[in-house]
Amino acid sequence: MKSEQLLEEIREANLNYLLLAQTLIREDRAAAVYRLGIGEDVAGVLESLSTSQLMRIAASNTLLCRFRFDDKLILDLLVGQGKDKSMGAAHAAILMARRPVEAMV
Amino acid sequence: MAQKKSVVSEAQQIQLAVELINLGARLQVLEAETSLSRERLLRLYKEVKGMSPPKGMLPFSTDWFLTWQPNIHASLFTEIVGFLHEHAGVEGIECTMKAYRLYLEHVALNGLEPVLTFTRAWTLQRYFDSKMLRTVPCTRCNGHFVAHTLELYDNYVCGLCAPPSRAGKTRKAAQAGAESLAA
Repeated sequence: MKSEQLLEEIREANLNYLLLAQTLIREDRAAAVYRLGIGEDVAGVLESLSTSQLMRIAASNTLLCRFRFDDKLILDLLVGQGKDKSMGAAHAAILMARRPVEAMV
Repeated sequence: MAQKKSVVSEAQQIQLAVELINLGARLQVLEAETSLSRERLLRLYKEVKGMSPPKGMLPFSTDWFLTWQPNIHASLFTEIVGFLHEHAGVEGIECTMKAYRLYLEHVALNGLEPVLTFTRAWTLQRYFDSKMLRTVPCTRCNGHFVAHTLELYDNYVCGLCAPPSRAGKTRKAAQAGAESLAA
């Protein structure tokens, strides 16, 4: 019962993520690539998915979006370990811009 | 080959000019980025902004971008431009505009002042194109920051890893701090 509920929540989060990604890409592709941290090729694939395909991909027992802050320093900055919170966010954004994006292999 | 006058391309140019004016571009930027005549741009500017464009030269010092707070903002903007250039394949004025919008978003979300105006951001891009400025990696955080091309930066540490002693401690910041304590 409990795990069924969890699976349902994962599915919902996946679907939300995919729908949001599609909206972002259709609105402004370049900005979407920046916001999602994905490559052009991935953006192309996401954009072309049909609704039924989206549903099928979303129905998984794993989450589709990855945790992007695998760098300890960026994470600390975002959590607000530093003295100045707003400057910490700027610092994190500067560091994030050079992180590799999700791309097709 | 002389460019044929086309109504569609002119409409696109006007559209671009209006977008630039709304972002806060000055007349020199419009003259450089669109093919419209100065007179038309002047009229357009007055129509969109409801006032005459500011006169005088654009700020032309590269040093401004190296002072503490402008450097952080300039570096953030430059890194967004670099990201869009590398991963989204946009270039030129389109890239500058998209990056500037993302920069404005970031600034607004974090309650910062938009220190970098659009015209400054555009000038910054020109300095990069003409190789007067470049970015250097900070040895502590590995972030890339705007710096002079011809200066040496061994063991460079950025203004965020090692802020100067009085950086950001303005009267305004002190007031905001006192208010948040009182609340």
